[in-house]
Amino acid sequence: MGKKDYIGGVIFICLGIFIWVLSFQFPVLPDKHPGPSLFPRVLGTLFIFFSLIVILEGWRKSKTPPPPPAEDEGGNVIITGKENYFNPVLVIILIGAFIALARYLGFIITGGAVLFILMWKLHVKPLKSFIISAIVICFIYSVFAKILRVPLPQGFLWW
Amino acid sequence: MLLAPKNFLTIVVCSLYGLFVGSIPGLSATLAASLLVPFTFFMDPLPALCSIVSMSAMAIFAGDIPAALIRIPGTPSSAAYTYDSYALTRQGKSQLVLGTDIMFSAVGGLMGAVVLMTSAPLLAEVAMNFSTFEYFWLAALGLSATVMVSAGSQAKGAIAMCLGLFLSTIGVDITLGYPRFTFDNVDLLNGVSFIPAMIGVFGISEIMRNVSQRQMDFAIAKVKTKGIFTGVGKLFKKYQWNMWRSGAIGTIIGVLPGAGADIAAWIAYAASKRASKEKELYGKGSIEAIVDSGTANNACLAGDWVPALVFGIPGDSITAVVIGVIFMKGLRPGPMIFEQHPEIIYGVYFAFILANLLLVPFGWLAVKASSQMLRVPKNILIPIILMFAITGAFAINNDVFDIITLGVLGIVGYFMERNGYPVAPIVLGLVLGPILEQNFMMSMIKTDWNLILFFTRPISMLLGGITVAMWGFPFLMAFLENTKKKNNGLV
Repeated sequence: MGKKDYIGGVIFICLGIFIWVLSFQFPVLPDKHPGPSLFPRVLGTLFIFFSLIVILEGWRKSKTPPPPPAEDEGGNVIITGKENYFNPVLVIILIGAFIALARYLGFIITGGAVLFILMWKLHVKPLKSFIISAIVICFIYSVFAKILRVPLPQGFLWW
Repeated sequence: MLLAPKNFLTIVVCSLYGLFVGSIPGLSATLAASLLVPFTFFMDPLPALCSIVSMSAMAIFAGDIPAALIRIPGTPSSAAYTYDSYALTRQGKSQLVLGTDIMFSAVGGLMGAVVLMTSAPLLAEVAMNFSTFEYFWLAALGLSATVMVSAGSQAKGAIAMCLGLFLSTIGVDITLGYPRFTFDNVDLLNGVSFIPAMIGVFGISEIMRNVSQRQMDFAIAKVKTKGIFTGVGKLFKKYQWNMWRSGAIGTIIGVLPGAGADIAAWIAYAASKRASKEKELYGKGSIEAIVDSGTANNACLAGDWVPALVFGIPGDSITAVVIGVIFMKGLRPGPMIFEQHPEIIYGVYFAFILANLLLVPFGWLAVKASSQMLRVPKNILIPIILMFAITGAFAINNDVFDIITLGVLGIVGYFMERNGYPVAPIVLGLVLGPILEQNFMMSMIKTDWNLILFFTRPISMLLGGITVAMWGFPFLMAFLENTKKKNNGLV
């Protein structure tokens, strides 16, 4: 965690400095007391202070030896599976795609495609993914658009 | 009113929803609450609040089911006694474990409800005398408690809190109406919308975490539900003192701003182990541990509502959602709600009682269906949750910008959690930020910037003293630890 703490600490220090710099643009109260800038400046200072503590904690951790690998009840070392880094990125890409395309393609087509692609990438068989996506998107559309009267994006097909 | 068919149906549906989400490992009660909010937007205030009450009571119990059957807690509140539950299941006592979970959760929940009903009106009377000074300190106390109880590094908890507070500063400022951190973006003038932010931080980050795992299915055996309550009566007799003690611990932890059901369960577990005659069984299959922690985590739920309703300060992340819902309904949490909307307050009281009574039959049904519920493939469930999250975020303001907020805060929450930063303080900071700033600025303006008045009013002084002491506590502990090490070195 040591290196990650350094990176996290630096990111939040930068955020603190950024808040401080921007707060100079804010106006002051008529009696020269700080107005809109007061709270952000306190926050900027706190960001820098706590980030320095996180960096210090990371430095301390890097000096201590790493813990031994976890063992199960039988004393065997547990090998944890590798993480999939693509899928979280895909989730964000799909949210972005929904934002960009829903107004043109409409809620049903875009939402259905989001469901289908994510299920398919999570190893659900294509036909099963397609059928479930179609049923689920129609259900969500009925709940939000018909029962709750939310004006969902309709697109060129008016769906 | 609560038993009107529409309201009762809402409670039943939300109870089933809570049972389902709670029993799926990786999906928390807070996620369930945040996904419920877009639906509460379209409900009257009373059913909206009651739906969260019933959902959360069921979800916290349901987290015990996978803990007992597959050694994975459904929600963090069941983590304290997962090893004990699973060890007893392996000894062939799954029925006793699950029966105990149901009954003691229901009793714990009812105890918490009684405390809510009795203490909240009394505290509300005291709170009527509060001014901006006291509200400032209460908000500061709530935020401080959230940071102090953060799992892992408290400095990281503090950074998460600051991030929430920073998000609350985006938009038009309260003193001069000046737009802060909006970068000429019209959508940001009204600030960061609370509900998409919350769904993003809790929901999208959880979805991203789940899809990054290779193993998404669980191997589970069928559970016998016949005679599930056999032997539970004896436990009530044997562990009645444990039940009262843990009910009290859970409720007190709940009343403290910032601390939730998971902390209540851990503290009750520790107290139980310390007082037990069978300490050696803890972690290896102690039914006493399950009695204590199971009672405490459900008792905590109603306790969490006390500061939320009386002061507008969330008791935990679920009540942070509740405060958002109360504001969304055009109401203002605080002592005046007891006078202006007593029907809502009484409705919430009875919803707690009803939900905990329903917990017994519904819990039994959930245990009966648990084999099937745990078999719902996560690779189908996760995309469906994503689609509900996107649609729910959009439905609040019919604005695509809210989906952007959802995605951005989802990414932030995901990376923060991966690096050991808790995400609940972000949401609490976002809720409490405006209360903190508004009360501070109003106090300063009306006293002509005289800070001393924050410490001269008796209650304000007390709350301020507690808050300052809370911030000094970690430094004091570090100092004592260093001194101890030095002394040991000298010896």
